[in-house]
Amino acid sequence: MTSPGDAAPVKPPPSFSPGVARVASTSPSRYPGEHETTQSLDAELAESQSVSSPTPLSGTIADLPIRPGSSHSRSGRSSTPQLARSSIGSPFDGRSDGSEDIRSSIIRSFSPTIAVHASEDTDDLVRNKGFKGGFWELIRPFGETVSGKVVIRDSIGSSRAWEDYGVRLADFKGIGRAPASRDSGPLAQMEEVLTKQLDSSNGMLGASVRTKDVLGFPATTPLCKSFLQQLLCSAPTAPHETFGHPVANVIAISSRNAAPLETLRQLYADGTTGDKQLPDWVNQEYLRYYVLVHDEERDDITESIKLYDQMKRHFGLHCHLLRLRSSQCVVTDDDSMQLPQCEWLSPLEHLSGAEALVDLGTDGTPYLFGSDATAIRAFIRELVVQSVIPFMENKVAVWNDQVASRRRGISGRFMSMSRRWAGFGSSSRSSIGGSSGGNSGNYDTTQHSYSPDSPEAVLRKMADYAFMLRDWKLAASTYDMIRSDYGNDKAWKYHAGAHEMCAVSMLLNPLATSAKIKLESVDQMFETACYSYLTRCSDATHALRCLSLAVELLKSRGGSATESAAKWAMRVMDFGLVGSVGQILYTERVAACYASKTAVGAAKWGGRRRKAGMWSTLAADQWLKAGQPTLASACLEEAERLYADVLQANGAFPMAEMQSFVDNLRHAVKVEYLEARGFDARDEPTSEDPLGTEETSEKLDMRHHRRSLVGPPVQLDAGGLDTTQGPLDPKSPPNDDFEQA
Amino acid sequence: MSYYFTILSPTDTPLFNIAFGTSKGGGDGIARFRFPETAQYMNQFIIHSSLDILEEAQWTNGGMYLKHIDTYPPAAAYITAFLTPSGARFLLLHQPPHLPSSTSISSGLGSSSLLGTAGSTTRASSSSIAANPTSPQTEEAVRQFMNEVYESYVKTAMSPFYKQGMEIKSPVFRTRVTAAGKKWL
Repeated sequence: MTSPGDAAPVKPPPSFSPGVARVASTSPSRYPGEHETTQSLDAELAESQSVSSPTPLSGTIADLPIRPGSSHSRSGRSSTPQLARSSIGSPFDGRSDGSEDIRSSIIRSFSPTIAVHASEDTDDLVRNKGFKGGFWELIRPFGETVSGKVVIRDSIGSSRAWEDYGVRLADFKGIGRAPASRDSGPLAQMEEVLTKQLDSSNGMLGASVRTKDVLGFPATTPLCKSFLQQLLCSAPTAPHETFGHPVANVIAISSRNAAPLETLRQLYADGTTGDKQLPDWVNQEYLRYYVLVHDEERDDITESIKLYDQMKRHFGLHCHLLRLRSSQCVVTDDDSMQLPQCEWLSPLEHLSGAEALVDLGTDGTPYLFGSDATAIRAFIRELVVQSVIPFMENKVAVWNDQVASRRRGISGRFMSMSRRWAGFGSSSRSSIGGSSGGNSGNYDTTQHSYSPDSPEAVLRKMADYAFMLRDWKLAASTYDMIRSDYGNDKAWKYHAGAHEMCAVSMLLNPLATSAKIKLESVDQMFETACYSYLTRCSDATHALRCLSLAVELLKSRGGSATESAAKWAMRVMDFGLVGSVGQILYTERVAACYASKTAVGAAKWGGRRRKAGMWSTLAADQWLKAGQPTLASACLEEAERLYADVLQANGAFPMAEMQSFVDNLRHAVKVEYLEARGFDARDEPTSEDPLGTEETSEKLDMRHHRRSLVGPPVQLDAGGLDTTQGPLDPKSPPNDDFEQA
Repeated sequence: MSYYFTILSPTDTPLFNIAFGTSKGGGDGIARFRFPETAQYMNQFIIHSSLDILEEAQWTNGGMYLKHIDTYPPAAAYITAFLTPSGARFLLLHQPPHLPSSTSISSGLGSSSLLGTAGSTTRASSSSIAANPTSPQTEEAVRQFMNEVYESYVKTAMSPFYKQGMEIKSPVFRTRVTAAGKKWL
C-alpha cells in the first residue's frame, strides 16, 4: 500500500450519484423513472429504518459500489488494460497485435466459479419472466463481465485494477457431475461445433472472416478464437484442479417464499448433505452468499426489507436484496433489452443451443427489462467486489501463512525430502496436515484424489486462487513448489496439472520478461504435463488444453518463443488430438506463430516469412479440400502477403514445382469460390487463360487487400536460368534497404 | 532414408536438384518420401522454408558446413546445409523411412511416442548412418557427402561454358553427386 496507485479507496462510501449516472449510461430512456425509483427507495429506507432496523440499509440495497473514476471508464467489454498496473508501468503498453486479445481470453477463462443454488420459488419467479433455466440462466451472462474496475491486492500488498474481471456462474446441481447425455467426449463435440459453424456461416464469412490489424499480423480468426474458448471451458470439473470448484455459493430465495429462513437453511444444508451435495474432493470451505429476490410487481417492499434485515442479522454481511420485475418482457416493451450472449459456452451447450435456434426459427434469446439488468449487474458487482474477492484474498493469505510458508521453510524442505526416502519423519509430517505414514502420503489411489484438507490439495487450491486473482507470481512459485510432490506420490493428473499451470503462470506474469524466465524450463514443463496427461492418464482434453495454452502464450511472448509455439502446434497435430477441421485450424496457427516472428536489425534476418507462407499455403490447400473455398482464399491471400518479402519482385517462386502447385491451387480456389457463389466459372472466357493470371487478379478484386503479388508468373523454365541476377551476397535481402536502416 | 539434395543460387534459384534413397543397409537407392506421389512439391516447400533458418544460421556459425539446421516435424524431414564461398547453398533434406508402428498420426490418442522423431530401431544399421538423423554419425556422413559434392561443384563451376547462376546440367556432375550419395549416405 505504498504506491500512488493505491490512492483509490478500496471501499468507497456508499453514494447514489455514481449509480444513477450508470443507470443513465446503460439505459438512457429510463433515466427519469429509475431516478424516481431510487428516490422512493430512499424514502422507504428512511421509513423502515425508523420502524424496525438500526442497520443502515442504504449501504447495501441500492449501493452501487462504483469506485471513483471508474464510472466513465466502462465502455462495454474492454480488455485492453488487462495488464495495466496501477502502480507500475506495464511493460506491454503499446503492444497490440491481436495476441493480447487471446491472452485476455485465456486469463478470463480461469475465473472463479460461483455456484448458484436457488429455491424453487425463485426459479418459478424467473421462469415466469421467460427464462426456462431459472435464476441461474438469468444471471449467468452478467457474471462474465463485472462492470467497472475490480481492484485486487496481491500477496505483497500492491493493488491492481482490472477492467475485464469476470466470474463464472455455475448451476449448483451441475457441479462435479458429468452431463448425463454424453455420448461423445468434449473433443468430438468441439469438432462437431466447428463443422456446424462452418456450415452455418458458409458464404457469410466472406471478406470479414479475417480482420487484419494495423501491424499486419494475421489476427486470429473468429473460428479459432471460438475453438479456443470452447476448449478452455470444456474440461469437466475434476479433483486435480480447483478452477471448477465453487469459490462461493449463491443461495437465493424469493419474496414469495412462505418460510424464508427455513428454506435458506435447507438450501445451505444441500451443500453438505443429501443427494445434491458436492463430491467429497471439493473443499467445503467456500463462501455462502444469500440473496433475496424481491418481486417488484406483486410483493410489498417493506415486507422484503424486513426479511432482508432478518437475513442480515442471521448471516452477516454476505447478503443482497435483488429487486426484479416478475412479468415477462417482450421486444416491444419500453425498456427491453436482450439477454447478453454467454461468451463461455461449453461445446455441449453450443450444440444444444444451435438446435434450439433451429427449432424456433428465430433468435431464441429472451428479453428482460433494462432495470432488471441494472439490478443484476449491481448485484454481481457487489457479490464479486465486496464478498468474493476479499474472501479469496483472505484465503490465499491464510493458506500462504499457514501451509505454504511451512512447506517453504527449511524444515518443510527437509520433511519433503524425508518423505521421499520414507521411513523416518512420519511423526513430524503428521503435524503438518494430519497425514498418515506411507510413501503415498495423502494421495488416495482408489479415488485418484487428495482429500481436500491435505496440504497438497490446499496448496493446489491456494495456487489456483492466486491464479484466479491474477497474482501469477505467487501462483507460479506455489505450483513450482508442489509439482515434484505430486510426482513422488504418483498423482499423475495433479502432477500434470501443476506443471501445466506453473508454466502458464510463468508465461502470464507480465513482469517476468522473456530474458528472465528460461524458455527451456517452460518447454520442459509443458512436455512433462503433456506426457502425464496423455500417456499416464489418457486425458486428451486436458492435453489439448495444455498444448493450446502453450501455443498461444508462447506466441504472444514473441521473439524466440514463437518457434516453440509453432513446435507445440505441430505437436498437437502430430498427436491427433484434433479432428480434421481442427487440423486445419492448427495449421493456420502454425502459420500465425511463424508470421508473428518478425525480422530484426538491418539485415532483416530472424524472420520466418517463408515458413509462415508455407503453412498458410498448406492451410489453404486443406480448406479447399474441406470444401471451404472462402477460407482457402483468405489463407492463400495471407500466404501471398507473407511471401511478398522473400520472393523476387515479380512474385514468382524460384522453384518450379512450388510454382505450379501454387498456381493450381489458386485456380482451384477461384473456381470453387465462384461455384459456391453461384457462378459457373467455366463460362467466363477470360478464365480460360492457360497461365491463370487473369483469374487470380479477379479473385482478389473482392477483397480489400488488393496487392496481387502473383503477377504474371514467369516462364517456368526461365526460373532456373535467370541469368539477370548477378552474384550477390549470400544473405541478399530481397528489398535492399540495407544502407537506410 | 530418403534424400532430396538441392543447390540454391544466392538468389534462391535452384541450380541443381536430385532425389535419391539410401544405398546403405540393403537400400536400393530409390527415394521413398512420405508424401504421396502427387505431393512432391512438399520437398521444395520444406527446403524453401528452411531458408529462413539458414539465413539466420549462416551468421552465427563460422563453418561452411552448418550441420542440421531445421526440421519439419509433420513429415520428419531434416534439413542440413552447406555454404559455399560464392554464396551458393547446398541443402540436403533427409527423411527416415516411414514406420507405421511408431507414428500414429491419425489413430491414437495417447499412444504415440512422445520422443517423437527417433525410434526407428528396426533397421539393423551396419551403415555409418544411424537411423537417427541428428546423430553425430549422420552429421559426419553428411559432411563427407557435402565436401565431395563441393569439390565436384567447384570443378563444374570452373568450366568455361558455365556462368554463375546457370542451372547445372552437366551429366558428369550428376553422376558424381549420385556416386557421393551412394558412398556416404
